[in-house]
Amino acid sequence: DFEASFIRLIDKVTNGSRIEINQTGTSLYYQPGLLYGGSLEHDCSPSRGIGYYLESLLCLAPFMKHPLKIVLRGVTNDQVDPSVDVLKATALPLLKKFGIDGESLEIKINRRGMPPKGGGEILFACPVRKVLQPVQFTDPGKIKRIRGTAYSVRVSPQMANRMVESARGILNKFLPDVYIYTDHMKGVNSGKSPGFGMCLTAETINGTVLSAELASNPQGQGAAVLPEELGQNCAKLLLEEIYRGGCVDSTNQSLALLLMTLGQRDVSKVLLGPLSPYTIEFLRHLRSFFQIMFKIETKTAEEEHTGGEKVLMTCVGIGFCNLSKTMR
Amino acid sequence: MEEKEKKKHRAKHSGPKAEKKRKRYLNDLGIGDEENARKRNPKAFTVQSAVRMARTFHRTQDLKTKKHHIPVVDRTPLEPPPVVVVVVGPPKVGKSTVIKCLIKNFTRQKLVEIRGPVTIVSGKKRRLTIIECGCDINTMIDLAKVADLVLMLIDASFGFEMETFEFLNICQVHGFPKIMGVLTHLDTFKNNKQLKKTKKKLKHRFWTEVYPGAKLFYLSGMVHGEYQKQEIHNLGRFISVMKFRPLTWQTSHPYVLADRMEELTNPEDVRINPKCDRKISLYGYLRGAHLKNKSQIHMPGVGDFTVSDVSFLPDPCALPEQQKKRSLNEKEKLVYAPLSGVGGIVYDKDAVYIDLGGSHAHEKEEEEVRPNHELVQSLISTHSAIDVKMASSKVSLFMDSTPLGSEDVGQEFVMPKEERQVDVKTGRVRRKAVFEDNEKENDDAASDEEDDQEEEDEEEAVSEDGSDGDDESDAEEESERVLLREGVAVRRAKRLKTEVAQEEAVNELPAFADSDDDLEMSSEEEGETVPEDSEMEEEEEGNLQRTYEDESSDSEFEAANKRAETNQYGMNRENTELKSQISEHSPKRKAVLTTDSGNCTAEEASESEAENSSLEEGDDEGGSHEELEAEESDRNELQHSQAKKADSVRQTKVKTVDTEDDDVENLLREEEEYEEKVDLSADTTGALKWKEDLTQKAAEAFLRQQRSTPNLRKLVYGTAVEDEDQESEDADDELGGLFRVSRPDKASRQKANALDCSKFLVEKPQDWDLEEVMSSIRDCFVTGKWEDDKDAAKLLEEDEELYGDFEDLETGVVHKGRAAAAGEQSGSEEEEEEDEKMSKPEPEEEEKKKERMDKKRKLKEMFDAEYDEGDTTYFDDLKEEMHKQAQLNRAEFEDQDDETRVQYEGFRPGMYVRIEIENVPCEFVLNFDPHYPIILGGLGNSEGNVGYVQLRLKKHRWYKKILKSRDPLILSLGWRRFQTMPLFYMEDHNGRQRLLKYTPQHLHCGAAFWGPITPQGTGFLAVQSVSGTTPDFRIAATGVVLDLDKSITIVKKLKLTGFPFKIFKNTCFIKGMFNSQLEVAKFEGAAIRSVSGIRGQIKKALRAPVGAFRATFEDKLLMSDIVFVRTWYPVSIPMFYNPVTSLLKPAGEKDSWSGMKTTGQLRYERGIKLKQNKDSLYKPIVREKRHFNKLHIPKALQKALPFKNKPKNLEKKGKTPKDQWRPAVIREPHEKKISALLSALSTVNNYKIKKAKVKHREQLKEYLKVKQKEDEQKFKRQKEAKKKVYRILGQREKKRQKSSLKGSSKGEKSM
Repeated sequence: DFEASFIRLIDKVTNGSRIEINQTGTSLYYQPGLLYGGSLEHDCSPSRGIGYYLESLLCLAPFMKHPLKIVLRGVTNDQVDPSVDVLKATALPLLKKFGIDGESLEIKINRRGMPPKGGGEILFACPVRKVLQPVQFTDPGKIKRIRGTAYSVRVSPQMANRMVESARGILNKFLPDVYIYTDHMKGVNSGKSPGFGMCLTAETINGTVLSAELASNPQGQGAAVLPEELGQNCAKLLLEEIYRGGCVDSTNQSLALLLMTLGQRDVSKVLLGPLSPYTIEFLRHLRSFFQIMFKIETKTAEEEHTGGEKVLMTCVGIGFCNLSKTMR
Repeated sequence: MEEKEKKKHRAKHSGPKAEKKRKRYLNDLGIGDEENARKRNPKAFTVQSAVRMARTFHRTQDLKTKKHHIPVVDRTPLEPPPVVVVVVGPPKVGKSTVIKCLIKNFTRQKLVEIRGPVTIVSGKKRRLTIIECGCDINTMIDLAKVADLVLMLIDASFGFEMETFEFLNICQVHGFPKIMGVLTHLDTFKNNKQLKKTKKKLKHRFWTEVYPGAKLFYLSGMVHGEYQKQEIHNLGRFISVMKFRPLTWQTSHPYVLADRMEELTNPEDVRINPKCDRKISLYGYLRGAHLKNKSQIHMPGVGDFTVSDVSFLPDPCALPEQQKKRSLNEKEKLVYAPLSGVGGIVYDKDAVYIDLGGSHAHEKEEEEVRPNHELVQSLISTHSAIDVKMASSKVSLFMDSTPLGSEDVGQEFVMPKEERQVDVKTGRVRRKAVFEDNEKENDDAASDEEDDQEEEDEEEAVSEDGSDGDDESDAEEESERVLLREGVAVRRAKRLKTEVAQEEAVNELPAFADSDDDLEMSSEEEGETVPEDSEMEEEEEGNLQRTYEDESSDSEFEAANKRAETNQYGMNRENTELKSQISEHSPKRKAVLTTDSGNCTAEEASESEAENSSLEEGDDEGGSHEELEAEESDRNELQHSQAKKADSVRQTKVKTVDTEDDDVENLLREEEEYEEKVDLSADTTGALKWKEDLTQKAAEAFLRQQRSTPNLRKLVYGTAVEDEDQESEDADDELGGLFRVSRPDKASRQKANALDCSKFLVEKPQDWDLEEVMSSIRDCFVTGKWEDDKDAAKLLEEDEELYGDFEDLETGVVHKGRAAAAGEQSGSEEEEEEDEKMSKPEPEEEEKKKERMDKKRKLKEMFDAEYDEGDTTYFDDLKEEMHKQAQLNRAEFEDQDDETRVQYEGFRPGMYVRIEIENVPCEFVLNFDPHYPIILGGLGNSEGNVGYVQLRLKKHRWYKKILKSRDPLILSLGWRRFQTMPLFYMEDHNGRQRLLKYTPQHLHCGAAFWGPITPQGTGFLAVQSVSGTTPDFRIAATGVVLDLDKSITIVKKLKLTGFPFKIFKNTCFIKGMFNSQLEVAKFEGAAIRSVSGIRGQIKKALRAPVGAFRATFEDKLLMSDIVFVRTWYPVSIPMFYNPVTSLLKPAGEKDSWSGMKTTGQLRYERGIKLKQNKDSLYKPIVREKRHFNKLHIPKALQKALPFKNKPKNLEKKGKTPKDQWRPAVIREPHEKKISALLSALSTVNNYKIKKAKVKHREQLKEYLKVKQKEDEQKFKRQKEAKKKVYRILGQREKKRQKSSLKGSSKGEKSM
């Protein structure tokens, strides 16, 4: 279901790609076309969050022919996929490091939609670039502030405040600069299903953003969650993320690695926390597609209190340049 | 003479000397000239005009910025590939002579025939690959793409030829390499003046083509068929100091100019089907960018392929090692040109021979100095066979002549040594005989000089071998080399080595020594080597310096041992088998390095061993004999592993990587062992100890690194996924936090697979309420502890020190910094001085002094930073950034060996690589001609795809015809040459792309074609045919790629016409434009127009005649009007893409490729006349005489008109009627008389008047005469009087002048 929706999305952003699916749905033939971009709209399947679609769009968007401006509709926050809030907070600063920036780079949440019915809407816009800059991103720096959003739709607005309260209780032990916004959507902006959740981001002095998030169980599935508990757990997840550390959030490891690979023929370096299974799988894909191997070194921090071990990933870009961008 | 009275000196009054003196005199006085005034009083000369000053400033700034280029990251490798020098020119201009002379100049060798590229070492840091370019346009295009430097030969006696200009234009399109002109045939000029003139003319023309001031060389005369030595030397100097600019295409794509080709097809396949697709291997230096394995490449003239295998080989024409000499040794002047038969290989029509006796001098040189080099060469020659394992064509070739044994393989490279005297032609025949000699010599261990040399060589090899294990950087090649060397006729060398190995084995590993063969061998050989040992004793000392403290080397030595063992087995075996063994070794060694890293246990090691052995078994598919052998080796290895298990204290292999388990004890013991070993090995290993040390150190460093990296790398890139899972399960308990999380158990993996989600779920969250857990990330926050240099408190403190002392000006209170307040004596400067005077260098004071210096330095740095900031521009910053990146690029992988580097970054430019390609058309091999360059151009991602490409194109000014849309055209774009059918178009202002039938004459236009996708901004050129030679300029068009797409919208105009069949006032019904109501419906609202210019709109379809419609116009139409609607019809681009396969043509016809013909050509060939439309023929225009009716103005209107505009049609007057005539007059007689008298009187009067007039005129004449006389006299008098006066005046003047002259001269004197 969501795969079909994803394929349709890909079909929309490309020009000249051929997609054939056999009748039983067991085999897929895909011949890639050129990335086209432009102003689009897409209804995502509510079985997966928008984050699922947005992640792949984040990889593709810088290499379109025309700047991408797409409206995605579906589930903005759920328990499975990285939510739009998190991607907005973490992926965009990451893209900026690679030279993809400008006015038009933005993710805007127009409406929130919680599973199972969704009803959220976001706007994603990204400029196009010809080449990416290599990055040397090895010093995460110290965390200077913690921000976050506690959202609640179609439930009591008090929920958000309760979450914030409990999360602050934990985080304030480490840092005084903690500010968590409460975001209560009303009316048509609140989607079709009730729910609440929270996402937290920790920003360092060097511009690294680490994040964690949690969302309530969707309506009719599982036991009800107490907002206090959720807030606490979310804060602890953030601490866990900080413990893992690295210059890139664990969700965006693969994005960073991909952009490094697609950079110019220069050495790029990035310090990551422990590699997630998804990233490991992704690295294998990178090798099979681009014949690129990363140099992987483990770094143990000299100081004791900076969390777990880190991995320094180094690679030489393949010298990819945007083949679809028109020259004038 | 001397007695003669000397003339007195006279001071000069004029001339330069006097002038100079005067000047000096004036200077002394302080009143110099203007220049001095400017110097003396600069303030007076500062700004005279602000505008002018601004202008000059702008101008200088402009000039400055003009010099800027966009900074690019310098990606040239440390050891760059040879510079490609392309020698180009029309036929018979002396290209090959120049090449020969250049080669002779650089290497003191004479090549008889030049075929293909010749690589030579031209300097300490520069190598050249010289290649000749014929005047086939295919060759010219291909070579222009890879050239770094172009030597453009011009026949001065003839002048420029078309080829020269064509090549220049090709260069311009594909990035402009450096171009140097060379004028030849200058000796044909007898007249010196003529020569000078021609030179000048040619030079200026050349400058306009290339750039003003481009270097043009003159090769004046020929001496014995060669150019003059000095001139060639100068040319060589110029070439070897030339700097090159990076060209975009070349730096972004890897490419190889192949200098060797070998066929690897199974001969059986060829026998069955002689036209089957071939498998070939090509050799050459990699240039440009990094090449990755399995990437796509294009061979211009052949087609697209996927690289099936790449491997790097030792450099056949290596740069000399770093020395402080100024010039090259005779031995270091290498030349490598396998296609021309230098370097040991000769190409025949259908076979490849190893030329053993050829090019004597070359071989001699090489072998005298660089035994390694020839080894390498021989290795190269056999390399293909290694990889094919069994039946490469080459091996089979040899089999035809002699059965190939392992000895033979060895002989191949020992050969040249011995065969210096052997004739070129008989080289192959004589080979055997020589080898026998060789063996004998070896057995005898004769003390020839030569032999000694050889021994040394061998020693070197041995020592290298010893270090080989350590030396990861030379990985496979070296091992292969060593193996090959060992397996062969150079028995003694091998024995020596094995002996070394044995000794080590005995010392170290009893398990090893268990195999009885080894023991026997060693005992035998020990006796033999004793005398040699004594020979080498002198060189022992260095050996003691060898340090084997690291465990890593330990294992490496074992590896060496193992190899030695296997070698012994392999000795008697066949060549192929040997190779299989070699191939077995490399994975094994890798396994040793990688599998055991991190958490390896002995069990695992044994497992990996078992795996390896199984691999080996799989590999050995040869005869039963071989299998036996293999089993033996397997057994051996199993033994090893068992031994290891048992011998856990020793920790033979596991030790290498498993640092955690290492006890101090172990280390100590190892050291002891090593010392022992050093003693022993010192005896045998001699010559290259220093080298060994180096390599060993490098290896150690590398190993340390490897150890530090856990098996993460293996985890990520492990070959088998199942393996990994197993391991992860095994290791789960042992590993720390990092590894635990990174290795999901199967369930979670499945889950991840199922969900395909990038979120990193936390399995076992730590309890963040605990204090110690909390403290583990305490320092991640700004509130935590900082590093020393960044700690805020510290920084503050430093600041305090720096700025602590200050005086409050308002209150006059002097605040002192803390340090000062603490009782620092040297607060003020005077005190400091005092301190210095006291000169009591107490430690405390020194410290303080140091602090002060530090402070001062810091202040200075800050000031510098602040001050310099103004100067730095954006450009500088950018440049700095690029420079940093370049540094990083260089440094990042520098310390790693080639094997791993290749994995990370691909094969880097400068490497000598061997590229295997499958499915090559058989014609390429059958019709191989070394004169034509073979280029392997790497393609970027998706550059192998095809799609629609849009170009900006301009017909070349010198091309005589214009190009027609949809006519086949051959484009050279990227690496490729291909025929395609472009459509030309123009872009309108509204972005519409409108088809053109022909290219405009002197204008850019767009072109779109179906073809390979090439990055935007790539230049291209078009030719209409590549076959034959045409007298005219061949390049039809040039341009650049603009856009790539999968669909394209080029439209052409289509006018639909219709006729009115019913006309109302402004509305009319129109038929004949469309065929159905539906069509009309589609065009509702479209603008239509009549031929006479009346505009209108389509309204609605009518029912009655099909396709008719109602339309309204701005005026009433006539029935005779034609109405039309303008529409745009999309044109489809023919999907025609045909690569030019010129290299597949049989030899001699390679320049005769002709693809699709244009219709015009076809018609011409077949003699078909085009049937013309009668309507479009021109006919003579016949114009009828036009007849106009009279203008008729209605009476009413006429009346109303003002008089001015009224038609004035006055009728002619008729005859005056008789009644209006006037009557005649009849006079009376009296009246007649009166009138007669009156007339008589008037006549008289008239006569009188006449007379009087004549008289008066005469009188006047007289008077004038008199008057004139008087005047003359008067004038005369006056003249005389004037004369007098003037004379007086003149005298007076003279007098005055005289007096004034006197006065002035006096005045001057006074000055």
